[in-house]
Amino acid sequence: MYKDLDPLLHSQLRLAIISMLVVSKKVEFGYIKEQTNAAAGNISIQIKKLQEAGYIDVEKTFKNNYPKTILSITNKGVAAFESYVDDLKKYINP
Amino acid sequence: MDTSELTPKESFAIINKAISNFKSNYQESAKIFLLWGWVLTLACFSQFATIKILQNTGQYELIGPISIGNWVLFFAVGLIIQFFVIRRINHEKKVGSYLEDYLKSLWLVCVTSIIVAIIISFLLDISFPPIIMLIVGIGTTTTGLLIRFRPLVIGGVSFFAFSIASAFVSNEYVNLLIGAAIVIGHLIPAYLLRSAKN
Repeated sequence: MYKDLDPLLHSQLRLAIISMLVVSKKVEFGYIKEQTNAAAGNISIQIKKLQEAGYIDVEKTFKNNYPKTILSITNKGVAAFESYVDDLKKYINP
Repeated sequence: MDTSELTPKESFAIINKAISNFKSNYQESAKIFLLWGWVLTLACFSQFATIKILQNTGQYELIGPISIGNWVLFFAVGLIIQFFVIRRINHEKKVGSYLEDYLKSLWLVCVTSIIVAIIISFLLDISFPPIIMLIVGIGTTTTGLLIRFRPLVIGGVSFFAFSIASAFVSNEYVNLLIGAAIVIGHLIPAYLLRSAKN
């Protein structure tokens, strides 16, 4: 239906993730889980898709001996988000 | 969250939610403002009390060294507590914002300016409280504008007024004035920021 919209971003969970990353420098996996109430496995799949597209960077580290995943948006991701929002505006105000 | 297709309105709602939820994290700034608000207020009142005691006992020669010692002591205590507060914030923090970087840079420049202002004031033998309050006013007002928290902007602007007022107050009472400026300009906005939901 919404053909012009970036299919990678036009998904509830991926859009939520990328929106958080646009306003944040770095975001922990746990924060995304808290904010979206999505299952960890589902979040991991969406993160992988965004990473493969080059929209986000994923950093794996340790905090108190527990693995920690930190996400940040890339320039390509910012450009894709801006383009997505511009396209959305065209649907709302054609 | 499901993966069904979104309408543009739903997309905007998701974006808005992500951005508005993120704002509440700026309350961490309140902890630092509260810390330095209390440390500096106590330093000012302690300074005033010390000067009064030394004047009453006629030990005028000790006023200078003890005043410097008083400020060094409170700054050292403040820095030590800040180290642990920041370590705790970083430990609990799940999101790092661009704004935090801007605020860090802003206050680093402000603190550097304050040190330079104190050195210049000693060299030129001029009063430094008006200049310090002006710099603190710049830092506080800009912080308030950046985090869009009006009480902090008003607090910052009050520092400008206190800066002008301090030029007309004698040295011993200027400490009380700085204390009042910090309570109005930092502590009250910091408590309001801490209790603010968004």
